[in-house]
Amino acid sequence: MTLEIPVAPGTELPTLVIDAVDPEKMKLMAALLQDPNPIHFDAEAVRALGLGDRVINQGPSTLSYVLTMVMGWAGGPGALRNVHMRFLGNVFGGDRVECHGTIADYDQESGRATLDVHAIANGRPVIRGSIVVAL
Amino acid sequence: MDQGPYADLTGYRFPGGIALVEPWMNRLWCYATCAQDTAPSVHPMLVYAAAVQGSGVTFQDIFELLDGTVETGIMVGEQRLAFQEALEVGEIYEVSGGITQVERKSGRRAGTFDIATFELELRRPGGVDPVAVSTTSFVFPRGEVSA
Repeated sequence: MTLEIPVAPGTELPTLVIDAVDPEKMKLMAALLQDPNPIHFDAEAVRALGLGDRVINQGPSTLSYVLTMVMGWAGGPGALRNVHMRFLGNVFGGDRVECHGTIADYDQESGRATLDVHAIANGRPVIRGSIVVAL
Repeated sequence: MDQGPYADLTGYRFPGGIALVEPWMNRLWCYATCAQDTAPSVHPMLVYAAAVQGSGVTFQDIFELLDGTVETGIMVGEQRLAFQEALEVGEIYEVSGGITQVERKSGRRAGTFDIATFELELRRPGGVDPVAVSTTSFVFPRGEVSA
């Protein structure tokens, strides 16, 4: 079988960009997650913790952006096998988020590729890790 | 490694239950995260939320087990997901799991904090092998900063 997507190590995935993280979507996410933490919907709660003056995006939302980037490249949710991500910093309402990925390794026998992925928000690193996909 | 005062929570099992991602939930999750609707597959990150909601405990319950409150700035530290296959919208999955590790750490900037890790497995009804495993580490700041 010939793969239609490039899998050479070092190949970069198409970048996914969220131009401005929408605080209104954080409210929806808080409801979907049943997450009571007010830092996601009340800027005053963020100020009280000394974390800034804008609401903070849910970690699962930020990781969702990264997974969506990988799915777009790898062919959908069924391609994902393993995800390991570490959260490095907060994403705030209005931030521009860029998700990046690079092929670190490709095993031709198993058809599995290991990707180094990360996201930055207004230039700050916010999440980093590796994802294994079956191609 | 300092186990800390909550180490006895390691091995704590959640009641368990059922996860079911309805089409509307997947659609709203994808909308909220700027993705196209992934149906008939569940968005892989929604698996994390569905697993928690099927585990028999809420985030609030987990926070209270470790005497954490939202006012203290609890955060997600790490997230792992393992998939045998994509979960399907509208299908029922059995959820089981609990807390696998609690350890205490400290740093000059972060002060003292506890890291609690919980792992949730999702299986098709009656299935042996999990189709997905979600492992999450929450960071609980304790507010004591080193000199």
